[in-house]
Amino acid sequence: MTVRALADRWRGLTVARRRQILAPVLLGVGILFPLVTSNAGNVDAAANAFTYVLLALGLNIVVGFAGLLDLGYAAFFAIGAYGYGIAASGQLRPEWSNLWAPLEWAGQVSRLAMPGQPATVQFHFSFWPMLAVSAIICAIFGMLFGAPTLRLRGDYLAIVTLGFGEIVPVVARNWEGLTNGAQGLGGIRTPKLFGFDFGFSPYPYYFLGLALAAVGVWISIRLQESRVGRAWMAIREDELAAGAMGVNHVHYKLLAFAMGAAVGGLGGTFYVAKLTTATPDMFTFPVSVMVLVMVVLGGLGSIRGVVLAALFVAFLQSVILQDLTQYVHVLGRVVGSPFLQRVELITSLELIFGLILVLMMIFRREGLWPAVRRVSALTREQQAAAPARGAAVKLSWAHPPVAGGSAHPLLQLERLSKQFGGLSAASDINLTVHAGELVSIIGPNGSGKTTLFNLITGLIRPDAGNIRFDGQDIAGRPSHEIVAHGVARTFQNIRLFNNLSVLENLLVGEHVRLEASVLGAIFRPPRVRAEERRAVSSALEVLEIFGNRLLPRLDHPVYGLSYANRRRTEIARAIMTRPKLLLLDEPAAGMNPVETLELMDLIKALRDLGITVILIEHKLDVVMDVSDRVVVLDHGVKIAEGAPAQVRSDERVIEAYLGRRRRTA
Amino acid sequence: MSAFDVLFQQVINGLALGMMYALLALGFTMVYGIIELINFSHFSVFMTGTFVGLVVLSLLGVTPGSASLTGVPLVGILVVLFAVTMATTGLLGVLIERICLRPVRHVSGTAPMITTIGIAFILINLVLLTWGPQAQRFPQLLPNWRWTIGGAEVTFKQVVLFAVALILMIGLSHLVRRTTLGKAMRATAQDADAARMMGIDVDRVVVLTFFLGSALAGAGSLFFGLYYGFTGYYIGYTTGLRAFTSAVLGGIGSIPGAVLGGVFIGLTQSLGGQFIGVKWTDVIIFSILIFVMVFRPNGLLGAQTPRRA
Amino acid sequence: MRPGGQLLLEFRNVHTHYGSLHVLKGVSYEIHEGEIVSLLGGNASGKSTTMKTVLGLVRPTEGTVSFRGEPIHALRTSEIVKRGIAPVPEGRRVFPRMTILENLEMGRYTRRTEPGGDEELERVFSLFPVLRERRHQLAGTMSGGEQQMLAIGRALMTRPALLCMDEPSMGLAPRLVEEVFDIIRAINEQGTTIFVIEQNVNMALSIAHRGYVLQMGEVVLNGTAQELLENPLIQKAYLGGT
Repeated sequence: MTVRALADRWRGLTVARRRQILAPVLLGVGILFPLVTSNAGNVDAAANAFTYVLLALGLNIVVGFAGLLDLGYAAFFAIGAYGYGIAASGQLRPEWSNLWAPLEWAGQVSRLAMPGQPATVQFHFSFWPMLAVSAIICAIFGMLFGAPTLRLRGDYLAIVTLGFGEIVPVVARNWEGLTNGAQGLGGIRTPKLFGFDFGFSPYPYYFLGLALAAVGVWISIRLQESRVGRAWMAIREDELAAGAMGVNHVHYKLLAFAMGAAVGGLGGTFYVAKLTTATPDMFTFPVSVMVLVMVVLGGLGSIRGVVLAALFVAFLQSVILQDLTQYVHVLGRVVGSPFLQRVELITSLELIFGLILVLMMIFRREGLWPAVRRVSALTREQQAAAPARGAAVKLSWAHPPVAGGSAHPLLQLERLSKQFGGLSAASDINLTVHAGELVSIIGPNGSGKTTLFNLITGLIRPDAGNIRFDGQDIAGRPSHEIVAHGVARTFQNIRLFNNLSVLENLLVGEHVRLEASVLGAIFRPPRVRAEERRAVSSALEVLEIFGNRLLPRLDHPVYGLSYANRRRTEIARAIMTRPKLLLLDEPAAGMNPVETLELMDLIKALRDLGITVILIEHKLDVVMDVSDRVVVLDHGVKIAEGAPAQVRSDERVIEAYLGRRRRTA
Repeated sequence: MSAFDVLFQQVINGLALGMMYALLALGFTMVYGIIELINFSHFSVFMTGTFVGLVVLSLLGVTPGSASLTGVPLVGILVVLFAVTMATTGLLGVLIERICLRPVRHVSGTAPMITTIGIAFILINLVLLTWGPQAQRFPQLLPNWRWTIGGAEVTFKQVVLFAVALILMIGLSHLVRRTTLGKAMRATAQDADAARMMGIDVDRVVVLTFFLGSALAGAGSLFFGLYYGFTGYYIGYTTGLRAFTSAVLGGIGSIPGAVLGGVFIGLTQSLGGQFIGVKWTDVIIFSILIFVMVFRPNGLLGAQTPRRA
Repeated sequence: MRPGGQLLLEFRNVHTHYGSLHVLKGVSYEIHEGEIVSLLGGNASGKSTTMKTVLGLVRPTEGTVSFRGEPIHALRTSEIVKRGIAPVPEGRRVFPRMTILENLEMGRYTRRTEPGGDEELERVFSLFPVLRERRHQLAGTMSGGEQQMLAIGRALMTRPALLCMDEPSMGLAPRLVEEVFDIIRAINEQGTTIFVIEQNVNMALSIAHRGYVLQMGEVVLNGTAQELLENPLIQKAYLGGT
């Protein structure tokens, strides 16, 4: 078979199938490598490289998945390292008390009695439980360091994390009682497995590192393709829109810091167990930058990219630069340059890091090995799909309103007011919307329509007044909570998760309906798998509504879609939250007349299915056609309300739009 | 010395130090004001400035071993030293802007800041590779005269550097407040699109801002060398952190804020070093930084609200 | 009224795009010297894009924009302004932390080296006495109406041939709106050609000589102000059909 045919065959496989083939192959290579190579130094270098892989995977969760630029990642490396180091060396010698007895029984500590002195505790915690403990301690610190950054913009967030990244080694250097200061910890015990001591041979560490790296990759993949991963990526792409789809940004940002820190802590524990020493200088800012280089080089968010880049940087440091130096020395002898004969390329490692960062940012921001995105090709008729009217709209979960309805109105705005600077965006607004209605809000530019939506969906707090939804007070509640109550919206200038596919965008809409947490995401018990399947079929059901405009583009990243399709995707995403109330902000903007009519049919059909709709639109003839009721705003004040025909001929409305006729000719 | 004397002494020291941080913070805050970029490489330009100063002085025949000078030769050498170093660092800043930063200026997110980290690393390591890791002695240009005021000592060095800094700051203030060019810079910082509509060449204003800011960093770098008598490839880190905190504390983008912040941090360093311990200075200053960023991102005088993520 | 003056600004079959969105779909306008021409339209009509295209902040994907016969659509904003087009941007866009005087000085930036600045300043102060009173006040502390006066005054500092105003009535109380439009008429009587982009149809047509009505990126109506005021289709264009 030719190479070309093989490549085509490969491209034809699904991602799952490719993984089924690649995983055993890569593992096989990994296991065979130390048996094949005769040089123990290579094995040692490879074992160290696995530390780098873990660090890169950890930072990838924070920066790549969740979009939080952490410039102090070495702090978690340090905490994991010192955590195990202190627990497995003679550094701490607290006085013996009987509280330590159970740990002595478990073999983790010993009682040391020296003649003439009070007994002390000797620590020698076992490596294996310490792996877990380290991860947990780092996760806690991750949340601690992440908490102050929650409301900061990108570069300030980075600076604060840099701050913590600097504080940790300074504390390590100065808190000599705990860490032995600048000299560092020594005599850290090596891991033992069923009596076998890892000692100083690189081989057992190699296999341990391989296993840890494999686990790290597995966790990363599982997280990325789960509800948690989608929530992270939504926050990365557009935090505001993520909130509007029900993603709790505080919860998920802290989770990203925790998971990223935990993986980094694993790396620290492993590294220090192998090195048997830990000094503060091992965890300074350049180390954080090195991990950042790995992630930037490989590709933010790309698991295979950061693994490859980590391996590259590790080998660059341990092998490649030394080998190159030999060649440069030979070259120096050939051309007779004493400088070339003496130069040691390893000293320019950080210079190379700097160059990588600058060059990657200028020329290839997506990284060298960005995540592969399989995009299905479109058939010609799919490309040319023309809008059509009269398509049936079916949603399995939507119920047409019961006759008689509920006791209270669905949405009630009472004396709602909001000021920006000196300008009144909303002035004493009263509005009642009943279930099953289709209400339109119209008004000239700057009249406060979008402000109203922002108040209802929790993006801004009102200065005065109440908002009651389905009997509950929602004014001032955070947007992700309001979504859970059943209110969804689209945005005037379209806020999609640009680098995610159509399907992924929709699945974020399903976020509040799903329950998988981190453990569920990683282990994928049957309950979670069923949940994901149901989510996908929900998404397909919603996409069906738009005919073959969106379905063939299921896995296309939304930044490449046409404007009209982007609008449709945003509406579909909002429908995914299964709202009782749907707020659409200028959904027909940018659509031609036929597309607009098609959209209006859809909106009417949604209303018939029991979803209450509030519409902001400027295409007034269309609005008049579909609405049950029209509300007119001008300068933040409601100036008219009623049936479409009534409102259209209202003098005040005409004056609001066209302006007052001048008194003088 | 009585406790009050110690306090007074540290206040004097702190004010002198504060001027250096202010000079460094000024350049940093000016760039942020115009293009909203946290420019890490600014502090490496600062560090490079000290080495440029070393080279200039050695070309003028002044080495670390030379005796200090007085009178006309001193003034002459100082003028040449400051002029050449500031021009060189200014040009370095312009080069950095044109080659590395302009291509990423309109990229959203943190790509521009990452680029400045890369540039900083490149500069630091170029210096490291050229001069080696050891500290370099800086010529003791200024004579070691001292005067006692009350129970404290003021050195000639402190007076000269304070005076130079003051002159530079007054010069900058005049430029920014009174000249049309300076007003164009302020206009661009407040609303770049509107500035364009006035016919202001925003790109040129950005280049000029980088030049001025980097030149001020060059002045600050000479402060460091003349005051401490040494330099090294690593001084950008700690001094940079302190200058950065000064800028943020004073209000990022605000020129008077940078001066106020610089003085505050200078005093914090000297008083904190005296009463708490020198080795904890970094932690104290970082804590101030984190505190300001989380609870009062506008700083003391800042008018610019950093946009929420 | 000064009909038939020389052709000053011309849009010929201009198309613009915003990503894949087709905003202006082949629009053509003509503005002659001495006129007040108004560009009208509701939201999403494309009128704000027109102003940005004149100033070079948006480039046409097709078609040309010419000033005094020379194409300007490929020039930088600073170049365009130097040729004699002065903008009064949407939302005023005064420099908030600079004084009124400094804002006016910025308005004259393209002619800063030429003499005559003091005369222009005098002229602006006589048109807007409140600016003279408050000349050392920071622009950001003024009311919306005062900022609008400042924005107009700032644009007049170069004695431009063409004044481009984007939604001067936005955010102003009705009485102030009348004042502003009175001033616009006065400026025109002193010889400045004015291109006003407005949502407030009645106000704009009360001072304009001619107008264009934009809807969904296309010119759907044009004519003299009188013709447009009497045309029932205007109401339809804004409020939807009857």
